[in-house]
Amino acid sequence: MAAIAHPDRNFKYWLISPAIFLLLLIGLFPLIFSLVVSFMRVTMLETDTSFAGLANFVQLFHDARLWQSLAHTVLIIIVALPIELLLGLAMAYLFLNHMPGRPILISLLMLPTIISPIVAGATWRLLFDNRYGPINQIIGWFAGHPVPALWTVNPGLVYPAIIFCEIWQWTPFMFLILLAALSNVDRSLTEAAEIDGARLWRSFRYVVLPAIFPVMSIAILIRGLDLFRIFDIIWALTSGGPGTMTETVSVYAYVQGFRQFESSYTAAIAFLVIALLTVVVTWAIRRMGLAK
Amino acid sequence: MSDLKITGLHKHYGAFHAVRGIDLEVPSGEFTVLVGPSGCGKSTLLRAIAGLEEVSAGTVEIGGRDVTWARPRDRDIAMVFQNYALYPYLNVYENIAFGLRARRVASTEIDKRVKRAADMLGIVQLLERFPRELSGGQRQRVAIGRAIVRDALLFLFDEPLSNLDAQLRDDMRAEIKRLHQELGRTMVYVTHDQIEAMTLADRIALLRDGKIEQLGAPLDLFERPATRFVAGFLGSPKMNFLPGIIETGEVALCDGTKLTLPPGRKAPNGQAVVLGLRPQHIAKAGAGAAPGHVQLPAIIELGQQTGSRVQVSMPLGGSSITAEFAAHEVTAPGEQVRIDIDMTRAVLIDPQTDKVI
Amino acid sequence: MTSVPFHRRKETKLVFRYLTAVLLVVIFVFPIYWLFAISFKTPGEIFAVPPVWYPKSIQFNNYVVLFKDGDAKTVGNSLVLASASTFFAMIFGTIAAYSLTRFKTGGENLAVWIMSQRMMPPVAIAFPVFLLYVWLGWVDTYIGLIILYTAFSLPYVIWMMRGYIEDIPLELEESALIDGCSRWEVLWKVVFPMARSGLFATAVFTFVFSWNDFLFALVLTRTEVTTYTVQVTHYFGGQSNFWSKIAAMSVLGTIPVFITVATLQRYLVRGISMGAVKG
Repeated sequence: MAAIAHPDRNFKYWLISPAIFLLLLIGLFPLIFSLVVSFMRVTMLETDTSFAGLANFVQLFHDARLWQSLAHTVLIIIVALPIELLLGLAMAYLFLNHMPGRPILISLLMLPTIISPIVAGATWRLLFDNRYGPINQIIGWFAGHPVPALWTVNPGLVYPAIIFCEIWQWTPFMFLILLAALSNVDRSLTEAAEIDGARLWRSFRYVVLPAIFPVMSIAILIRGLDLFRIFDIIWALTSGGPGTMTETVSVYAYVQGFRQFESSYTAAIAFLVIALLTVVVTWAIRRMGLAK
Repeated sequence: MSDLKITGLHKHYGAFHAVRGIDLEVPSGEFTVLVGPSGCGKSTLLRAIAGLEEVSAGTVEIGGRDVTWARPRDRDIAMVFQNYALYPYLNVYENIAFGLRARRVASTEIDKRVKRAADMLGIVQLLERFPRELSGGQRQRVAIGRAIVRDALLFLFDEPLSNLDAQLRDDMRAEIKRLHQELGRTMVYVTHDQIEAMTLADRIALLRDGKIEQLGAPLDLFERPATRFVAGFLGSPKMNFLPGIIETGEVALCDGTKLTLPPGRKAPNGQAVVLGLRPQHIAKAGAGAAPGHVQLPAIIELGQQTGSRVQVSMPLGGSSITAEFAAHEVTAPGEQVRIDIDMTRAVLIDPQTDKVI
Repeated sequence: MTSVPFHRRKETKLVFRYLTAVLLVVIFVFPIYWLFAISFKTPGEIFAVPPVWYPKSIQFNNYVVLFKDGDAKTVGNSLVLASASTFFAMIFGTIAAYSLTRFKTGGENLAVWIMSQRMMPPVAIAFPVFLLYVWLGWVDTYIGLIILYTAFSLPYVIWMMRGYIEDIPLELEESALIDGCSRWEVLWKVVFPMARSGLFATAVFTFVFSWNDFLFALVLTRTEVTTYTVQVTHYFGGQSNFWSKIAAMSVLGTIPVFITVATLQRYLVRGISMGAVKG
């Protein structure tokens, strides 16, 4: 459209100004503020606002704990994302065609996604309880003897615990998106492929997959970024423990900022995270043409 | 005084020059049709008149006032859109009343006007219904109703009949013509359909590439086209164009056929021309040729029945031409006939300038 | 009837699919059931080995305790915060989306920037905002958190409403302009009614996101404006957890969401799929 008579020239700016103002608060302000503070030496003990140059950033590079937290985060992403994707896809196919009570079943499946992640974590905390949790009980049935596994403490079990909870909560999300995408695939395309002799895998790879790829990409992007930011579930299950074993980037930043009060250092982390993510996300958004 | 006056109008979309300097004056009460092929700028022009597009240069005056920079609602216009633009969440009554409510007209007055408009369009029984319950033709009537209820100075139509099927289109065309006669308002109507243009217009503005190619009464454009484009655009089936050369009172075509020009037709010897012949002026030869007519033998290639006529193609002058015979002068392909060409209606075009000589 | 092998028959496939589907649903819903069950159990039933699979009777003692202690007030806080921020985010976000869609304000760059804000990690934003709020004295206040939630919800609202607004035929707005509406009237009389179902769906999800938030509430509240999410974590313990309280509080905080989503689920496919799929 873009046609505005002279008197209405500023209308579009009025419309967008409240939103822009608020967005600057959470968008631009943290970026600049973090940068500024990261050049100082503000900690719990002393508010030294003298210019410290890149000292904090240098420290970042040598901080093994930070790199570890990054590795932990990447681990979670690499394991959880593909599982959510494949499981969600399988479920989407399962529910693709009619079955009795389908809407109700789908609604029930969405329940994990709409509860708070902290509640999800709390729920699994209870489920995984070594003495009174049903999980161990069920395992015990199969094993034939009691299995008091310490899911939230045992180093070998904490990651499975976290990933189970995460998958439980978010696979339905993937499922719903993929179900919608699959439903939108033109039937005549798959039917033509079938007539041409394509079997299941062929038909999927060359007909279905290209058709759902744009939607799937968006879903992967969103979930991938959500996984990067994961906090609530970990906080509820392990608080980053045992020790710092399950500490992800968000958890580490939180601890540094709000337990240790290493303000300047945390600001440096915050700045880097925001800056890097902005670059990556902006590239992804442009690439996928989401802003058009 | 003219109700609409456009001076030197230009519209750019970035690098694309959609409207290239249009001057147009529409006297009060006249029905002007803007017609032309896709992309000629007719819709852009209409939207510029409405104030839905900003002009790049030039002025628009409505009712003597310069409205070039005025808001659409301050221009005293009403508009009927191609896709009807009915609000699905309002019933027909409220749809028609929408503009009046926006202008804070009193409810009693609104009621009077809505009922009168509905009456005029024969949709009184639909007032309580919602758009989704209506047929295409009914929706179009509601859209027109919404326009006429406003009593505006200028009425704009943006291809309102394009979405209707052929039968409905004929009916609605008559409706619109009747409405114009009843209301006597100034109307500007955009269409790509030359039949609509011919039947509805008091004057036609034929647009091409952002300029007015010719402006005039329908019959003027039809019988005295200014350029090849105009000649070829109006009239169905299309005019035949045959290249040739003038030789002492005759047009010599590529295949050697010579067609005598009627006396009074001046054209310089040796001049290269394109001869324009309408299919309606090529008939099956009856008795002898009337003055200004030429008769020739011809071989039928193809015949297409339309019910009232037969469109016949045959080779002439190096290409295939179309002629119109009466329905029962039936032809079979390969048949030899004698055709009668009315050269008094022929059009001579200068191939360099595409202008009619 | 032709002799199609048993395992290829349509009915068999349906039964098989159906059973699998039901099994999946049971697996996914069980943890939620468990949570609800615990909230209704007596301490004896909660700490039973082997676990009691369903409470003998539904008793509300755990809930009563929460109300008595005043902990239930935190649900009220969540309600205030989520409602207010959703309200403002919907208004500011929708008109911003309209500006972006119809007038291409700020071009692609602005649109990209706004969308990218959705992906920022809360912790990176929480920290500077926390320091700012300390300076402003807004820590542990309603207004502080409402402003933050509103701001954080805006990218999502704008993203979603853009799609819904694009679906409105431009002619409806143009016709209104010609008929006498001002630009604001067009927004109010044409755009909002036409986008109604989109508004609902987006509002529901915005509400749920804010309602479920934990990190911001953790960082920016202390005692006055605690939300139910933070309150739940207060019952965690190193050695033992207040099981009953965790469960009851969680249920209290979850039921409103269930009800809201259940009543409006028809509109929600697009909301959940983030507008990736037009539904």
